[in-house]
Amino acid sequence: MTTITYPLSRIEGHARVVIDVYDNEVFRADFQAMEMRGFSYYVKGIPAEQITVIVPRICGVCSTAHQVASVKALEDVFGITPPPLANDIREVLLLGQLIQNQATSLFIFTMPDRTNSNSLFELSRNEAERAKEFSLAQMALRIRKIGTDLISLAGGQFIHPIKTVIGGVTSGIPREKADQMIDTINDLLPVACEMVDIYWELSMEMGDRIGSWGDDEPTHYLASTEANDYHLNSKRLRVMRPDGTEAQSFDPHEFESYLQIAVNEYSYAGVSSYMGQILRANSLARINLATTLGTPRADAYLRRFVQTFGKPAHAIMFFDICRGIELVFALEKAKQMLERDLEHGETEIGYTPKDGAGFGLVEAPRGPLIHHYEVENGLIKSADFVIPTVHNMLAIRRALTVVAKRYVSAEGINAELERAVGRVVRAFDPCIACATK
Amino acid sequence: METSNGLPKFAVLQLSGCSGCEVSLLNSEEWISNFQLVYMPLVVTANKIPDDVEVLLVTGGVRTDEDIHNLCKGRSRARKLIAVGTCALSGGVVQFDENHIARETFQKASHRLRLPDMLPHAYPIDHFVDVDLYLPGCPPTPQLFMTALKEPDGAQIASIVCQECGRQKLNDMRPTAITGSRSGVVLPDICLINQGYVCVGTSTRGGCGALCTRPGHACVGCRGPANPYLNKDPKFVLDNLRRVFSRMTDIPAEEIDAALESPWLSLFLGQFTDYTQETDGPRRTKEKML
Repeated sequence: MTTITYPLSRIEGHARVVIDVYDNEVFRADFQAMEMRGFSYYVKGIPAEQITVIVPRICGVCSTAHQVASVKALEDVFGITPPPLANDIREVLLLGQLIQNQATSLFIFTMPDRTNSNSLFELSRNEAERAKEFSLAQMALRIRKIGTDLISLAGGQFIHPIKTVIGGVTSGIPREKADQMIDTINDLLPVACEMVDIYWELSMEMGDRIGSWGDDEPTHYLASTEANDYHLNSKRLRVMRPDGTEAQSFDPHEFESYLQIAVNEYSYAGVSSYMGQILRANSLARINLATTLGTPRADAYLRRFVQTFGKPAHAIMFFDICRGIELVFALEKAKQMLERDLEHGETEIGYTPKDGAGFGLVEAPRGPLIHHYEVENGLIKSADFVIPTVHNMLAIRRALTVVAKRYVSAEGINAELERAVGRVVRAFDPCIACATK
Repeated sequence: METSNGLPKFAVLQLSGCSGCEVSLLNSEEWISNFQLVYMPLVVTANKIPDDVEVLLVTGGVRTDEDIHNLCKGRSRARKLIAVGTCALSGGVVQFDENHIARETFQKASHRLRLPDMLPHAYPIDHFVDVDLYLPGCPPTPQLFMTALKEPDGAQIASIVCQECGRQKLNDMRPTAITGSRSGVVLPDICLINQGYVCVGTSTRGGCGALCTRPGHACVGCRGPANPYLNKDPKFVLDNLRRVFSRMTDIPAEEIDAALESPWLSLFLGQFTDYTQETDGPRRTKEKML
């Protein structure tokens, strides 16, 4: 048996792909998380109200989603509902994270696969080329920075944000600051659309060059956004069958009835399924489950996507295209939200700490995220983090098996396999720090 | 030390951490025109750190045997090594206390097939290699990153968090009990200690812009001890905090002691010991701290 190991880059965290080949046949393909964060162990015994400041540290890339899910879980324990204004501000916060994340995945993680380079920041020796590359990198970082600035505005700090608190948010968004942000979005939205168009075109070229868009076997999809309302501060989860019909809709506290989550002996990341079936979350799941996004430019992209690729669409490289659609959506939606009055009104209500169990759900960039806590005597008795990347683990493994079979034959192992496994894993944009169990 | 385009090379080695420091670095675009990034697995496909790196930033703590190997290799290839973030300086929030109730179950769960084993402890990187500059914070702000890369010598850093906070300390507002980690509405412009919050900004290194305390969240000490407490027993920090609370509040001393030892505060206050455990002379001098 031959074992091939591919270290991975341009993803969040430490992971590798291991492929076992036996007698010219692919025996198994695995995606391994290389370290364990251990937060579910670590937070045992801490005062419940302190957990909302600790759990963002699970992951610096996804800290916003963890913070909001954590606060919502404790609000569920304490039996309180934050005021509507607080929910709007949390939505802005989550939109900021979606912009930051999708811009990172599109331009920093996966664009180099399409231009055959090693990094967005790799500059050529040729003077003219270099100027072009430099301005592309600058534009990408500027679009990404809108997300960061929105998180700072609505969350108080761009990593490990702090303004979302049990009962609401600590303050509103002043008109003047909102207007500045709207101006920036107005300036950069056309640039973002242009970058998404370039990305789309390059993806089509890449698909033609390779002759495949990757694993396209029909699969179940999981998201917590609504068909007609792309809310990230979400309430219910939905599962779509491979044929596009809805299989299930459930509240976060029912998740264990539908999602089976297990420890994986070959990886520090957990693995989940929907009633034993392979599941996919993240951008493609949300887009497959959406009828409209509710903003003009994004809806135009959505129509183009459905016309070109069908609905539901299944090939894994569509995840990348869908991130582009979502980037445009999040910029437009953030602008719509900021046009509202987010300055005046009640942002926070009081609460009395209580013991009990609670569930907090948000739609994170990688899919539905649930925090589930049990509080006893004011302390965390148990904490379970139901991580979006974990829902994609079986799908990643299957897509890796598909690609390995494509490039391993009686003639040998095609060197293209190295680039191919990178493209497969990046399509799912996994977050390793979050996914460890 | 220079690439074809004349810019100095820099690299980022990520050990066990959350990538928050990397995200913070990416939030400053300024470095693109000043440096050539040659290694940073989060954003660059490159299989090794080149031999002639000018500056190597190391983030994350040492939690696996692979981390030790990569760290030592990285050190040998870089002229200057900067330890970045709380994890690199002290293992970070994933630091398991010897007596933590879940330590044993974690240890049992952290051995898997074909994967690096987790070490029994998360180590600061200067346990294994020499560090030229320390950049604490969880995460450090983009401004601090740029200072570290461009002009660390002679940088003016606020001595303590209070200096940048702007909240006023009042003499006639003396709480008698701890308000809790966060309940009720925080009054603007008034010191959080006056409002009964256990804020440790009075002993914590500034430079962060008081990002937490200004909107009303007590400082937890992520930037580590302020200069006067470097290379001293951590009890000096705790003594100073006790003095602050007895001067400004009527909260019973036992309550303050218990709060300072609570798991949340000990996340960062616990790291203060890493600034003192030195047998071969002081490593973390104030000249080396940013």
